[in-house]
Amino acid sequence: MNIEVRGLTKAYGAVRAVSDLSFDLPPATVTGFLGPNGSGKTTTMRMMLGLVTPTAGTATFGGRRYADLRNPSAVVGAVLDSAGFHPAHTARDHLLVYARMARHGVRRVRQVMHLTGVAAFADRGTRALSTGMRQRLSLATALLGDPRVLLLDEPSNGLDPEGIAWLRGFLRDLAAEGRTVLVSSHVLGEIEHLAGHVVLIRRGRLVTTGPLSLLYGTAAVLVRTPQADLLAARLTATGTPVEHAGHDLLRVHGLSAPEVAETAAHHGVVLHEITPERPSLEQTFLHLTGDPR
Amino acid sequence: MTALLFAEWTRLTRTRLWLWGLLAAGGTGALIGLLALAGPENFDPPLPALHTAQGTHALVGLLGVTVFVPALLGSVAVASEHRHRTITTTTLYAPRRWTWLAAKLTVYTGVGLAYGLLATAVTGGALFAVAAAKGLTLGLPAAAVAGMLGRIAVAMAVYTLLGVAVGALLRNQVAALVVVGAYFYFVETLLMVLPGVRELYPYLPGGATAALTGFTYLTDAVATQTGQAVTHLLPAPVGAAVLVAYALLAAALAIAVPLRRDI
Repeated sequence: MNIEVRGLTKAYGAVRAVSDLSFDLPPATVTGFLGPNGSGKTTTMRMMLGLVTPTAGTATFGGRRYADLRNPSAVVGAVLDSAGFHPAHTARDHLLVYARMARHGVRRVRQVMHLTGVAAFADRGTRALSTGMRQRLSLATALLGDPRVLLLDEPSNGLDPEGIAWLRGFLRDLAAEGRTVLVSSHVLGEIEHLAGHVVLIRRGRLVTTGPLSLLYGTAAVLVRTPQADLLAARLTATGTPVEHAGHDLLRVHGLSAPEVAETAAHHGVVLHEITPERPSLEQTFLHLTGDPR
Repeated sequence: MTALLFAEWTRLTRTRLWLWGLLAAGGTGALIGLLALAGPENFDPPLPALHTAQGTHALVGLLGVTVFVPALLGSVAVASEHRHRTITTTTLYAPRRWTWLAAKLTVYTGVGLAYGLLATAVTGGALFAVAAAKGLTLGLPAAAVAGMLGRIAVAMAVYTLLGVAVGALLRNQVAALVVVGAYFYFVETLLMVLPGVRELYPYLPGGATAALTGFTYLTDAVATQTGQAVTHLLPAPVGAAVLVAYALLAAALAIAVPLRRDI
């Protein structure tokens, strides 16, 4: 199924939360939807789901807008921060209401409860659920219709490291089953071991979209060596940009750590430390936009 | 649509709201029974006794004053979708938003009717039991009492529909409670004393309700205070139709206005 976002725009008065945003989601892949807080990720996802009416533009799933899908919850599942639960309902009650709403069947309720671990607290009132449990219940609700597409807005917010690791594995498995997954985040680290594709936005505008490796084009290698000047000279001679980051420390751009190590060995340079430097999202922005904010 | 109805029914029955409804319906009926047991002639100021037509009429009419209770339950049920933010998931599951509102209106009208039937059955049972225990006959024939109670039950169903529509329109539980309560206890009473508006009273929600329930305390009181002629109410079926029209108008507004808002 083709998922296309075309010219999506949302203006609140004079403020443009999202501006002429276009991207595609590659099938059976986890796509990371990256951008700082307030960059328009949530508004974009809500427009894709028909919760917010776009000022201009469209988002389509297999050529249809979300609201025009015949049984939308069987096509697209969504985990949104703003979705709540009735406090008097148990986790099971909540799933039952929505399973009935879209005719997904009671057996499917049991399936998603086991799949997401909700079964462990199925009969607890939703008011007594922890953040992690609520996130699992949201995920279970999104999966009731066994959708081929999943949209998740900052799903790891408030989760402990164990919960984040579980979620990451779970989403990776969903993509491996052939599902198309869009996960928004403002932290690159959450996405880098999960996503194969990224959509990067800033101030409501697309910065770039493409394979994850796109972001690593900006990676650098930190090298600590007593022969810093010699290595710097050798690397510069081959056209590699080198920065002096300290008296015995170099930051090498455009080469991988093995390439730097081999060059050093070739010239007989002793290395005390060699570290691939992962850029923070902010550094990536700096690189891709020439503007730190 | 049947799936949506079933889902709304599940949503309601999996909370305690139905239990509160049950208690409220049974409780108000029992309260009327208690008042009958005390005897209207012993009230302060005294009302006509139970064996007079006016006495029976007044006690049954008191139940008619509680029609706003199921309306509040209806408002709370809908506004809670906003309060607990289940509205997001509901809208994702049924993006054509009028469909789930229509399902709610349908289910809660049924629930309101059930509420009304329970409240009136308890009231009727209590009145006849008290009369039997006191060894007297009610001031009205059984058929007349049953007819009044039946109209009150219908009024309760229509009010629940109205409550759901107002709740969907205002989205805020407290605001819905305040608006529904303030209108019936305050705003309409004030409107009544305006000369021009008084002619419209039969068509206002309170006037239509009075026509349906046959409880004309308010119009009688205004007539007594002002010395003006009693405002003539509509026939009961027309009163019911006017109330349904108000409910449908509120529902149409609820669909046209807030359901288009961004969630």
